[in-house]
Amino acid sequence: MGPEPDDAKLVLEVLRKDRKATAEFVNRYADVLYGYVRRRLVPHTEFVDDLVQEVFLAAWENLESFKGESPLRNWLLGIARHKVEDHYRKRLREIQVLSEEESPGVEPANESRIEEAIQEQQTAKKTKEILALLPEQYSIVLLWRYWEKRSLSEIAAQTGRTEKAIERLLARARDQFKREWNER
Amino acid sequence: MSDRPIPDDELFGQLAHESEALGEAVRSPSRLKSRVYSALVRRQQQSGSLLNLTETRHAGHELCVFEVLWEHLPLTTGAKCFNCCSICHARVLGEQVEHAPIFWGGCPYVAFQKK
Repeated sequence: MGPEPDDAKLVLEVLRKDRKATAEFVNRYADVLYGYVRRRLVPHTEFVDDLVQEVFLAAWENLESFKGESPLRNWLLGIARHKVEDHYRKRLREIQVLSEEESPGVEPANESRIEEAIQEQQTAKKTKEILALLPEQYSIVLLWRYWEKRSLSEIAAQTGRTEKAIERLLARARDQFKREWNER
Repeated sequence: MSDRPIPDDELFGQLAHESEALGEAVRSPSRLKSRVYSALVRRQQQSGSLLNLTETRHAGHELCVFEVLWEHLPLTTGAKCFNCCSICHARVLGEQVEHAPIFWGGCPYVAFQKK
């Protein structure tokens, strides 16, 4: 898919530091970037505004490299994705991950009703609510693995942990998610 | 249909796909757009002047009432690159207040308020 017809013009005007074009650039793409970042940071939305601003500033710094081979929207979402992953990496490093000994009872959750809900398309609201209840490292690792579709090895490489450690963290996160799901 | 449960990895993949597809569209707050715009213009100024107001108008953009006044003052071309928003109350209101009471044309902070 090519760029929007006036994306190229808008980019040129922004590069010329046309203030009104810069305002149009923000107005045109703020909603899509805000929506994406917010979905990826739920429930920790206190970081959303700063990340969206960082995306726009990084876009400005790299705008000359935009070749118009893909829509500007996609190019900006690519930057947003990097910023979100930087955030995940930073937060996972900051958060003291529960060690195996400290982790709460990790008995496997009972047979989950998630599958049933998926078939009935009733998942979005409940998923958001449960992600909000989980410890931050659990919600981050789930979002990173399943919403950003990163492999265990990629997450491990980005966080400086072993793949096994990420796998254990993910298993605990899934288990707690399923438990919460079944209790609601 | 098979009674075998879906493996966890696949199940969560489906959950992510489903909740993403049904995720509601959200609108960014006008305050955020205002702050982002102000930050972007400041960043642009770090590497030199903004495009002057006359060229901005010639590119087809509407200037606000203060920019029109500024453009008509007997100033050097360089002075016409001045960012009038940096000293305007509309910027302050736009950055701080959602649905700020600012209404005149050609003002980006007004444009950010519109749905």
